[in-house]
Amino acid sequence: MQKENDILNSLSKKFPEIDISEAAVSVRKIYLSVPEEAFMNALKFLSAEFGFKNLCTVTGLDAGDGYEFIYHISDDEGVLMNLKFKTAGGDGVTIKSVLPIYQGATFYERELEGLLGVKVEGLPEGRQYPLPDNWPEGQYPMRKN
Amino acid sequence: MSKMIVPLGPQHPALEEPESFTLMLEGERVAAATVALGYNHRGMEKAAESRTYVQNIYLLERICGICSHSHSTCYVQTVEALAGAEVPKRAQYIRALIGELERIHSHLLWLGIAGHEIGFMTLFMYAWKDREIVMDILEMLTGNRINYGMNMLGGVRRDITPEQGQKVLEALDALEERTEYYKNVILQEQTVAIRTLGVGRLSREDGLRLGATGPVLRAAGVVKDIRKDDPTEVYNELDFKVATDEHADVYGRTVVRVTELMESYHMIRQILRQIPDGPLSVKVPNRIPAGEAAARYEAPRGEDFHYTRSNGTDKPERVKVRAPTLANLAAITHMIDGGFLADVPIVIAAIDPCFSCTDRMVRVKDASSGRDDVWNWDKLRQYSIEWHKKRGQDLGYRI
Amino acid sequence: MANLMSVGTAIFNILVYPGFLFLGVLSLVYEYADRIIYARLQNRVGPPWYQPVADLIKLLTKETVIPSEANNRLFRSIPTFAFAATAASFLYIPVWNNRSLLPFDGDLIVVMYFLTIPTLTFFLAGWYSSSLFAEIGGIRAMMQLFAYEVPFYMSLLGPAALAGTWSISGVSQFYREHPLLILINIPSLAVAIFSAQGKLERVPFDAPDAETEVVGGTFTEYSGRFLAMFRMMLGAEMVVVAALIAAVFSPFFIGGNAALGLFLFLIKVLAVVFLLALMRAALARFRLDQMVSFCWKVLTPVSLAQILLDLIIKGAL
Repeated sequence: MQKENDILNSLSKKFPEIDISEAAVSVRKIYLSVPEEAFMNALKFLSAEFGFKNLCTVTGLDAGDGYEFIYHISDDEGVLMNLKFKTAGGDGVTIKSVLPIYQGATFYERELEGLLGVKVEGLPEGRQYPLPDNWPEGQYPMRKN
Repeated sequence: MSKMIVPLGPQHPALEEPESFTLMLEGERVAAATVALGYNHRGMEKAAESRTYVQNIYLLERICGICSHSHSTCYVQTVEALAGAEVPKRAQYIRALIGELERIHSHLLWLGIAGHEIGFMTLFMYAWKDREIVMDILEMLTGNRINYGMNMLGGVRRDITPEQGQKVLEALDALEERTEYYKNVILQEQTVAIRTLGVGRLSREDGLRLGATGPVLRAAGVVKDIRKDDPTEVYNELDFKVATDEHADVYGRTVVRVTELMESYHMIRQILRQIPDGPLSVKVPNRIPAGEAAARYEAPRGEDFHYTRSNGTDKPERVKVRAPTLANLAAITHMIDGGFLADVPIVIAAIDPCFSCTDRMVRVKDASSGRDDVWNWDKLRQYSIEWHKKRGQDLGYRI
Repeated sequence: MANLMSVGTAIFNILVYPGFLFLGVLSLVYEYADRIIYARLQNRVGPPWYQPVADLIKLLTKETVIPSEANNRLFRSIPTFAFAATAASFLYIPVWNNRSLLPFDGDLIVVMYFLTIPTLTFFLAGWYSSSLFAEIGGIRAMMQLFAYEVPFYMSLLGPAALAGTWSISGVSQFYREHPLLILINIPSLAVAIFSAQGKLERVPFDAPDAETEVVGGTFTEYSGRFLAMFRMMLGAEMVVVAALIAAVFSPFFIGGNAALGLFLFLIKVLAVVFLLALMRAALARFRLDQMVSFCWKVLTPVSLAQILLDLIIKGAL
């Protein structure tokens, strides 16, 4: 687990606002919460410095008091990093697209828009996914209200 | 030549499942392609939130008919990680055995489909006939041809006897001989080569950039296989090579899959040799401690990803599934662009798409809001009759 | 009175034997042969013997749907044209002896032209269906026509040049008298078999109705009895092409005995159908551009060389 801890330590060195004491680490898996402001830079840093070049998927969930977004990224050696951040709940939440870093993210982010009803900034126009075209507006299945 | 827009799907003979590609054609060449998905949306992730952990094994196993074991294994791994359960070695070996048999069945199925797409029906008939051998073996071991129901939280449901192991070995000999034959067909048959060589190219860089996975990526020379990179279960105790190829096209993907077949035979022989005696399962409590866990599994089509968040009750807070096809979709339009219309079916087929896996969720009826957007059967029927009448196609009978 | 008799015989010959009805029965028989051979080559059981008839009856009883956008009159009449052209060409092909029903010098050329008409009707059928897939299928059929037609003609012209006649009956008469000369024409036979697959739109040259690409191709919008007509026509075309190849390339004829002659004819056609089915089973579909370049770069030069060889040998004889 040397490598996993190294990654966490360099993260906290580079971004002092990230609190790694809450991180859960197991063999080849890291679960880490970061503040929303630090998220994009942390992602860029991990992708550039530690070779987390592959985005497995993005999980969006309604935690009750807000939305939580988990970006599952992996490197070539099998380490899976689960980087999380929280936002407010309800309508009108906007997050930034990770398309500049991970070009295969289109469908994952479109799914966030379709199922959780958040706006992803920087996502190209396109048909909604995975709900049908005649799906009633303002209804988002993955919300818990 | 003028441009022509061809819809490929949602229903089309080349596609085994509903999805929709819109192709802009210039003559026989594809100028632009867009993909629309969601026709198989069944609402599984939402449904998983209102079922117990045990019920979810059977729900998630039905995400896909082909890689059902991959999905259920991946899911139980997340739950076992949350519960801190240590799965007995014998159960792990049995899981790997079923997983590899499933890979054989999936790749043989794919080989047949590929033959169908390039108009080589004989290959289709041969491959599917031989696939019956492995289907019979799976039925003997698990009781089912697909959706095996082998996994349970903390282990597996059924044991294998030495006699069954012997039958598996006999079947492997037959399959190995047939696979050698297919390898020769693919390497030597000229019409197969000209239809696949250089078709649907996806370079190593593009594959990595667009997040492709599985045989699509390995055919571009990338050594990436979850069984090696993140070995769960017993894969680190097995000796196998990751099949790769440098062609980076449909031909390469075919070669990779056939090589993987050979590797799977090799692995199953090792599993049957090394499998230790012992219990089949450990007890996992109904209520899972709060926490989160992610797991990856090398499904026949590529990397399968599951994430489970628990809240301390007997039902999960969130289950997230990412099937390999979704990861490969971004690469699809890239591969179709600029190619021939005639190559589109085989290029799509070459990622071994599984759109049922990809679209998991369903439209949930919103009874409380009382909106009229969810039709009942009668209304749908009436609409259908009128729709056809309007187009002068009164079918004369009631749908 | 004798005049009336001969008119009666002529009508019988044209309508029943060896004309339309005979051709219809043959096309069903050989469709079955083709399907069962193909199935056995693929490790399948194959259909029962009455399957082609059952298919035909089923199609005839089905409702016919004509797209409202399609040109109604042409949509209905095109299958008839296709079948008529195929049936007419059969009248010039020898059946039980080496003389066809209505032989004349030059009937080889006429038959070839008759056999072009079905392909043209495919194009028209696709075009007037006003359906996307049918149109693409029609255009592909047309593009294929330009590719295989030349090698197909030339492969038949080589043997004809050696025989020194443009009559099919004359050609087969010539090879009956000089059976060994047929060995010279083997390259031509291969070309003829290959390009016949293009004419019949079968694997490897079935791009016009490749279901995985263009659904039903030309016939996407056809249903019921019009589709049945097309299917009959395709079966008949296969018999005509196989009989034509058999007549030009095989020296086995026995004069005098009509029954034995008919039996030999059936065997010869079966042999050609077997070759066609074998090819269908052993090969994958060519892409259209690959098919065109294969026809022009391989088949055409071979048949050209064959004609040259035949002319040289003709001079030497």
